[in-house]
Amino acid sequence: MIKLENISRAETLRYLGGGNAEPDKRMDDLLDFCEAELKKNVSPKYLYKKIPVDSSIIKGEDIKKHLEGCDWCYVLCATLGAEADRLIRSYSVRDMSKAVALDAMSSAAVESVCNSIEEELARENPRSFLTWRFSPGYGDYPLEVQAELLRLLDAQKKIGLCADESFALTPSKSVTAVIGLSDTPPEKRRRGCAVCNLRHECKFRKAGTRCEF
Amino acid sequence: MNFNDLMKSEYIILDGAMGTMLQKSGLGLGEIPEKLNIEKPEVVMDIHRQYLEAGSQIISANTFGANGYKLKDCPYSVEEIISAGIRNAKEAVGGKALVALDIGPIGQLLEPAGSLSFDKAYDYFKEEILAGKGADVIYFETFTDLLEVKAGVLAAKENSDKPVVVSMTFERNGRTFAGAGVKSAALTLTGLGVDALGVNCSLGPAELEPIVRELTEWTDKPIFVKPNAGLPDPNSNTYDVTAEQFADCMDSLMNLGTVKLVGGCCGTTPDYIRELKSKTESRIYKKADYKKRAAVCSGTTAVEICEPRIIGERINPTGKKLFKEALKNNDIDYILSQAISQVEAGADILDVNVGLPEIDEKEMMVKVIKALQSVVDVPLQIDSTKPDVLEAALRIYNGKPIVNSVNGEEKSLSSVLPLVKKYGASVVGLTLDEDGIPKTAEGRFRIAERIVNRAKEYGISPEDVYIDCLTLTVSAEQAGCRETLNALHRVKTELGCKTCLGVSNISFGLPNRPLVNHIFLTMALEEGLDLPIINPNDEDMTGAVRAYKVLANIDKNSGDYIAHYNDAQPEKKAIQTSRITLSDAVRNGLKGEAAAIAEKALLTTDAMEIVNRELIPALDKVGAEFEKGKLFLPQLIQSANVAQACFEVIKRHLAKTDAQPVTKGRIILATVKGDIHDIGKNIVKVLLDNYGYSVLDLGRDVAPETIVETALRENIRVIGLSALMTTTLKSMEETIALARSTEGLEDCVFLVGGAVLTAEYAEKIGADYYCRDAKESVDAAKQIFG
Repeated sequence: MIKLENISRAETLRYLGGGNAEPDKRMDDLLDFCEAELKKNVSPKYLYKKIPVDSSIIKGEDIKKHLEGCDWCYVLCATLGAEADRLIRSYSVRDMSKAVALDAMSSAAVESVCNSIEEELARENPRSFLTWRFSPGYGDYPLEVQAELLRLLDAQKKIGLCADESFALTPSKSVTAVIGLSDTPPEKRRRGCAVCNLRHECKFRKAGTRCEF
Repeated sequence: MNFNDLMKSEYIILDGAMGTMLQKSGLGLGEIPEKLNIEKPEVVMDIHRQYLEAGSQIISANTFGANGYKLKDCPYSVEEIISAGIRNAKEAVGGKALVALDIGPIGQLLEPAGSLSFDKAYDYFKEEILAGKGADVIYFETFTDLLEVKAGVLAAKENSDKPVVVSMTFERNGRTFAGAGVKSAALTLTGLGVDALGVNCSLGPAELEPIVRELTEWTDKPIFVKPNAGLPDPNSNTYDVTAEQFADCMDSLMNLGTVKLVGGCCGTTPDYIRELKSKTESRIYKKADYKKRAAVCSGTTAVEICEPRIIGERINPTGKKLFKEALKNNDIDYILSQAISQVEAGADILDVNVGLPEIDEKEMMVKVIKALQSVVDVPLQIDSTKPDVLEAALRIYNGKPIVNSVNGEEKSLSSVLPLVKKYGASVVGLTLDEDGIPKTAEGRFRIAERIVNRAKEYGISPEDVYIDCLTLTVSAEQAGCRETLNALHRVKTELGCKTCLGVSNISFGLPNRPLVNHIFLTMALEEGLDLPIINPNDEDMTGAVRAYKVLANIDKNSGDYIAHYNDAQPEKKAIQTSRITLSDAVRNGLKGEAAAIAEKALLTTDAMEIVNRELIPALDKVGAEFEKGKLFLPQLIQSANVAQACFEVIKRHLAKTDAQPVTKGRIILATVKGDIHDIGKNIVKVLLDNYGYSVLDLGRDVAPETIVETALRENIRVIGLSALMTTTLKSMEETIALARSTEGLEDCVFLVGGAVLTAEYAEKIGADYYCRDAKESVDAAKQIFG
């Protein structure tokens, strides 16, 4: 059971533009409001499963490189559930400024859920090393793998998470990822701009900063 | 033996898990379990046989996931897998048990959470039902979305005459993943006429107790329960309740009453079923105490009409110029904002009327109901005079709605009541007929009686009929008011029906109308009015209902009343406008102030001048600050909303003076086909709106053809497209290509944007403007329209 806490304000603000501006009181109040709404209405759910790396859902060069030296990996999925989407939808009509703030904060929240899952996995595997989270859509790891990955975790039945025909996760504030498990420290493969498909257009990079990926 | 014969026995034993049993027999992770029906029928049949021997009287065929969506990459067709599944089960049980066509969720979320449409879901289910003709009963299980299973139940009832049983899966908080509550599930499924309903999966029998108990209070249909063998351990995937414990817990669930069909879900085995059977052998079936309630619901929220409930009347174009404009311009957001303000003001139910001669009412009604249900939780009242509009709305409505209305005319009774029955709705009955509205209370009572009796003939119980004794204008016919109230009183006391009444018509033609409305409402409540149809935004009317509930000893300890009024400030604070400029108000997100300044300015200044000299430059300044990273996106939007409030003031002013509306140019916006992410598009819409452009928003997942047709029909030559997925960029390309090859649209201007889009790609697909964010789309619009 993971509760919504430690949602990164910095990450939320980065999604909301604003460069390096310090949020003023109006922004702080807005983010307080959003955080309270999310905590009141949303309970995150997640699943994970340990599988051998020769599983059929490990497709493409980049994920294989990512898992080099690992015999096992975890596939995981996490979602804020239908309620987060519903909140955002409802505020889109009531007050779009709250909707975009909720949207950004929900994205940050689902990342924080994944961080908590990683901590849980690290506790369960005290003698192993974990790679960072690699998701379908990174590098050449195809989005098409979503359906099989979700089926493997029985995600619809257990946490209500599906993919649509364009392989978008629904509810939308959700993540799927693969984490490698290795006996030796994985090579310093930094996650970052090099594997990101958006690197050429990234507004953070243009502004000389980077996101937390 | 058929299902109905079997239901005459005291208890009926279902089977246990299939999935976890197949995994034990070596089914690979992530493999499609239904393939085994063809590839290893003996494994499947062996499991069926074990359950039969343990005592199961209904065996579910291995067809849970055998739908067109889940099987799309499978070498076998739905028909092949399902008929093999049924054949295996039939052969395994050899006539000693019934076989159920087991149907699970499609595997994709329905709109609005996902992109699967109701009709497409219906088609998937229909395919399964036709393939499963050989089964004895159709069993929908593990559903979390009430609307999805409604599509299934309709598909079953319209394509087969087999009994239909439905089970939903609830979490510990009493809700499904999609947010459906137990009451909503009970009301909706009972209304749809399923043969039994229940719960399965997610929890063990002990955890399901409160959910099953609530179910027994909200349905008189036989209930079935198929819990998991306790809760799973996430690592070992084993369950924590033994067969004996399981049977003991199930025993106490049967003690609740009405629970008649029992079995197991994940983690259960033939041993669990054997223990369960031994518990039922000497039991005599008992029904729980159940009192039929007058109640309606949305997919998430049930409203019991056990005290006065407010029906909001504002979603209706009659006499509302702006609303009519919104309907003509397809401005669904305007309608949604009307809905939200009513709910915030205290409406329990919303009436929805979109009838306007110039528009396709059926199409609009369906669109509006879907949109409303995606943002508000209150139940809806579907208001139309056309049976085909009612039916289209009833099909896609999530929950149990009210139909407004039927009347005493034979034509109305025989066309509306069958729909009410089929879709399990409630209905408003108007006390008028071929001869008009009777003058006397007696005359109206007689019609009410006729409506209630005819409803009974169709199988609709009096609890589901709400009689409207009709308010006549008191200035035209002063004695009529008393007749309405007397009729209402008699209907309530003699027919046992709930009553509803539109109130504001009473004061037409009189000065100080609110006073008359307010007193009339209070009189009607005292005569037994349950459902006042009013404008909830009128604080005096909503307040009268709240005060009445205190005085009638309904609102216990005045809790609700105090909660509403304790902190309320009766005096409205006058807005200070003297010290700030419109530009400051826009910069700082001060909506009320800005509107007041605009109002004042309109007395002396031309509307367009305020727009061009004040509002737009103020917005530009904020936009520039956003670009420089000094402001965050929500602040930009807040400023835009302030400008919007000023535009509203100006629009109202112009509507009064019948001048041309302010628009700097018209733009179509859409999220492309296959893509359901629309927040980016919505932000662009707000900004364009507030810069004075008139936006025709086609929504999300919009086909290229729809966009092209709309551009031609509306004579709009600027189109904004959004796509958020790499997989849907292709639809963007297709849309542009289609427009470019359509006569009249060759020179159409395209603005494109979305997270994964690049300037390079935008150019490649022939777009004219690549907009990195919402602000850039405004810049593009400025360049296009000058």
